[in-house]
Amino acid sequence: MSESAVIEEVKTNPQGDVITSAPPPKADAKKGAASQRVVSPDYLMLQAPREAVFMTGSEAAKEAIRRANVDIAISYPITPQSETMQQVGYLYAEGYLKDYYRGEEEYGVMSAIAGASRAGVRCLTATAGPGLIRGMEVIASWPGGRLPSMLLIMCRVINAPLAIQPDNVELSYMLNTGGILFHAENQQDFYDYILAGFMIGEKPEVTLPVAVAVDGFFVTHARGWVSLPSADIKLPPRDCYHEAVPMMDNENPPIRISRDAPIQKSNFISYHMHASWQQEVWAAQARANKWVKRWMGSPIEVVNPTAKTIIVASGAMVSQSREAVRQASEQGIEVGLVKIKSLRPFPSQELVEAVDGADRIIVPEFNYVGWLAKEVRSAIPRTERVISGPRVFGGMTMPTELIMSYVKGRR
Amino acid sequence: MVMMNRGAVYEVLPGPEGILPPAATVMGVCLPEEGEGLLHGRIVSEEEAMRSAAIAMLTRRNPTLFPGPLMLWGWTEHTRDKSAPFFEVAREIPGVRIIPMPDYRPIYPKIDPEAVINPCHPNLTIWHNKIEACVLIGVHCHFANVTLKIIRGGTNCFTIALCAEAGHEDAMSSVPNVGAEKIARFAEILRLVKKEGVKPLYAGQGIIPSGWAQVASLGGSAGGQNGAFVDNGLSHHGLSHDLEHGLDENEE
Amino acid sequence: MSLETIRVAPGFKEYLPREYQDLVDDGPFGRERKVSEVGSFKEAVEEHPMCAGCAMTLFIRTAIVALPSLENTVIIGTAGCGRLVLSQTAVPFIYGNYGDTNAVASGLKRGLAIRFKDKPKDVVVMAGDGGLADIGFSAVMHSWFRKERFTTVMLDNEVYGNTGGQESGMTQRGAILKMAPLGKKFEKMDMMGLAKTAGVAYIARVVPTNATRVANTIRKAVLIAREVGPTYVQAYTSCNIEYAIPTPKVMDDARMIEQQRYGFSEYFTDEAKSYWEHYERERRQVKGPDGESED
Ligand SMILES: Cc1ncc(C[n+]2csc(CCOP(=O)(O)OP(=O)(O)O)c2C)c(N)n1
Ligand code: SF4
Repeated sequence: MSESAVIEEVKTNPQGDVITSAPPPKADAKKGAASQRVVSPDYLMLQAPREAVFMTGSEAAKEAIRRANVDIAISYPITPQSETMQQVGYLYAEGYLKDYYRGEEEYGVMSAIAGASRAGVRCLTATAGPGLIRGMEVIASWPGGRLPSMLLIMCRVINAPLAIQPDNVELSYMLNTGGILFHAENQQDFYDYILAGFMIGEKPEVTLPVAVAVDGFFVTHARGWVSLPSADIKLPPRDCYHEAVPMMDNENPPIRISRDAPIQKSNFISYHMHASWQQEVWAAQARANKWVKRWMGSPIEVVNPTAKTIIVASGAMVSQSREAVRQASEQGIEVGLVKIKSLRPFPSQELVEAVDGADRIIVPEFNYVGWLAKEVRSAIPRTERVISGPRVFGGMTMPTELIMSYVKGRR
Repeated sequence: MVMMNRGAVYEVLPGPEGILPPAATVMGVCLPEEGEGLLHGRIVSEEEAMRSAAIAMLTRRNPTLFPGPLMLWGWTEHTRDKSAPFFEVAREIPGVRIIPMPDYRPIYPKIDPEAVINPCHPNLTIWHNKIEACVLIGVHCHFANVTLKIIRGGTNCFTIALCAEAGHEDAMSSVPNVGAEKIARFAEILRLVKKEGVKPLYAGQGIIPSGWAQVASLGGSAGGQNGAFVDNGLSHHGLSHDLEHGLDENEE
Repeated sequence: MSLETIRVAPGFKEYLPREYQDLVDDGPFGRERKVSEVGSFKEAVEEHPMCAGCAMTLFIRTAIVALPSLENTVIIGTAGCGRLVLSQTAVPFIYGNYGDTNAVASGLKRGLAIRFKDKPKDVVVMAGDGGLADIGFSAVMHSWFRKERFTTVMLDNEVYGNTGGQESGMTQRGAILKMAPLGKKFEKMDMMGLAKTAGVAYIARVVPTNATRVANTIRKAVLIAREVGPTYVQAYTSCNIEYAIPTPKVMDDARMIEQQRYGFSEYFTDEAKSYWEHYERERRQVKGPDGESED
């Protein structure tokens, strides 16, 4: 782990969850929520003065949600996600959200999010590993339904044997749904990407669900510095009549809305309609890029662009790679780094340009299958430059020495 | 994934482009900002996009306006305000038809291509009426984009999207943030290009009988005929518009 | 006001398809309609591709007439036969994944409650027995335990009709169907009993032999869901195709099943009962004897 992500001594249960007692809401608990005022997304994300606070990833998410003007959150416990949605529960108790409940299980939760999004409210849920896979039938149907919503993913092993360790193979399943997917490196990103995500997904030309992923424990349960604007400002509410599809509230035309056209027939017209529909979903995802640039700086971050060896990474692996870049420079080796912030839309063009001068591209990952290396390969020319790995999985941390051995060409 | 066609700039031109033309967005076409428009996938001024749209509507065969639900139903003052300029536009295009897209469901058992256009198979309406220029207005963006791609794939129609939101890359010409004022501006531009010498393909003024108005004038009568309801004694109004035999849209 | 959504923008009426013109002039919006009036107004249900003579069609058609406030209703369906007609009906219709109805309805109803505080929005689930009792079972039960305020209507044809006639949990024991080659080996699920256990406010079982009774049951279920808590209507809607019931005999079959094992029954919680009595009293005062139920 990089220095910014120091894991503190915290009391945990056998599952590794932080043990916290749920304080009853104080009498004046709702004062903070009531005094919040709506500001423009640009002001909240780009201009408002900020102060740095040392906090966990779960707390960073909470602070984003506090300022996100969320209407409803639906939760279901799973380590290492539970802490965040418990915190969101306290926000509800304090009046920052209008509704909140624990759903029956993830399929039900994801379906309820689909219902809430169709009702025109801003909605949020979070899950991890097996929960994500359980909800996947629904999650994969959100983009085609054109359902803006926010899904936080705290990555965790999904393969048997059952385990709670961080391993982000689950994100490979998220790459093909058509939805937007950001991968946060640290607590600060987790805070920033959530707010940007809400606004991007609700843009009329985008109208898509957004998922913000972090690597479990490494980010959720570790502390880092997060610079935050004041808690008395929040995003504007969802503007649901300015989206790509009508709301299912019986308040907007047409009266006969069958938004999810039942076209499951075997004829060319059905194939054609479905094909054009899918193309539109992926086009909508591509349209998000403009807003990614506006509110997240760029879909990638580049360090040492002229280096001949460049590491391409996403999520917590970026922190490890930064450390490798630093160690390498101490040894007089120049190594570059491309951080992929947005996995969907995938920043192909930006990546091609960023690695244009590189001879070797190293892709370290926290999973067995190497999905990021495959993504990089399919985006850039001269793929023989891509060295797929190093990879650790099953919850292991990535020793910087392992990255260094790749840098030095020993692997 | 953005599948850039590096080097060559993708042009959004009247088709038929063949099976599954790509979404223009993934070919690198970007949406215009306020004051701009799109023409064949290039960002141009709003004026230029509107001019080309006007010329297409005046000079191509069977120009047609396709008002969608957000134009047809006066559910807000904003939509009600758009009606008058919409018909002003219509009156400036000799021989124009008005065929609505009243909703987005796959209509059972098949659409009447003279009465409606539907996002599941907009090409049927374009082919049947030999439409070579059209304006989509008041259609929700998702369904407009689905429609525009199918039209570009299978027809030679010049598509124009006057969009209340961000605009449409899949149309040959598109303008964003279109409210009553910009619709009125389009009527003005139609007058202007005519004054500058663009000769309309059709003589005379305004709208020809079209949509249900045309079907009705030809003696179209309501009444389901396929016996889908055996308990038909219940109904006196009958169902839907007149239907000819055609593709069964809902066969499982 | 949601009636604005069927107010035609100036100048467009003559261009609208006849079905929409009729809905605007003489539709079911903004007033309650009785089944006895059917035939004298434009119904919300439009032409659809369900099998000729299917009892489910008749039931749905009657149920739609009975909805107390069509312009404030959203219907949720799922894969299965019923959605073929629901998707053609002039009311917003949600069609998601198979078996997701009651979870979607929970999110939708809560979302609508957030946005429209003072205006009741009726959410009605209409789905098959497979959709509700099998694949959607957990979502159904939990929506009831959570006391979500919407109506669940089971279109119980005792079979997976849409996929070609397989056994469902609601199939009668012994019935030989696809995937039950030796006959179903366990009893029909007692969803009425489960509803009671879960605390559903109003529970009814009905067969579409009496349209007025169907209408009254649906109206009751929707109004009680609006004010009190979850409601459940289980309707026998035979599948004449999979059970090989000759089309002209569909109603005979329904009457027979009704007599043998599917008689009308309803159950109210105390709260639902007192609400309903209050509602009926008020209605009689406003409307006179005419305001009474039709049966
Ligand atoms: C997740 C999933 N599993 C299975 C199916 C296949 N499927 C579609 S409809 C259906 C059966 C419908 O039966 P029922 O719910 O009883 O309604 P009916 O058609 O009898 O009205 C099934 C199994 C599906 N669409 N999705
Ligand atoms: S398959 Fe059965 S339930 Fe489905 S429409 Fe036909 S008769 Fe009705």
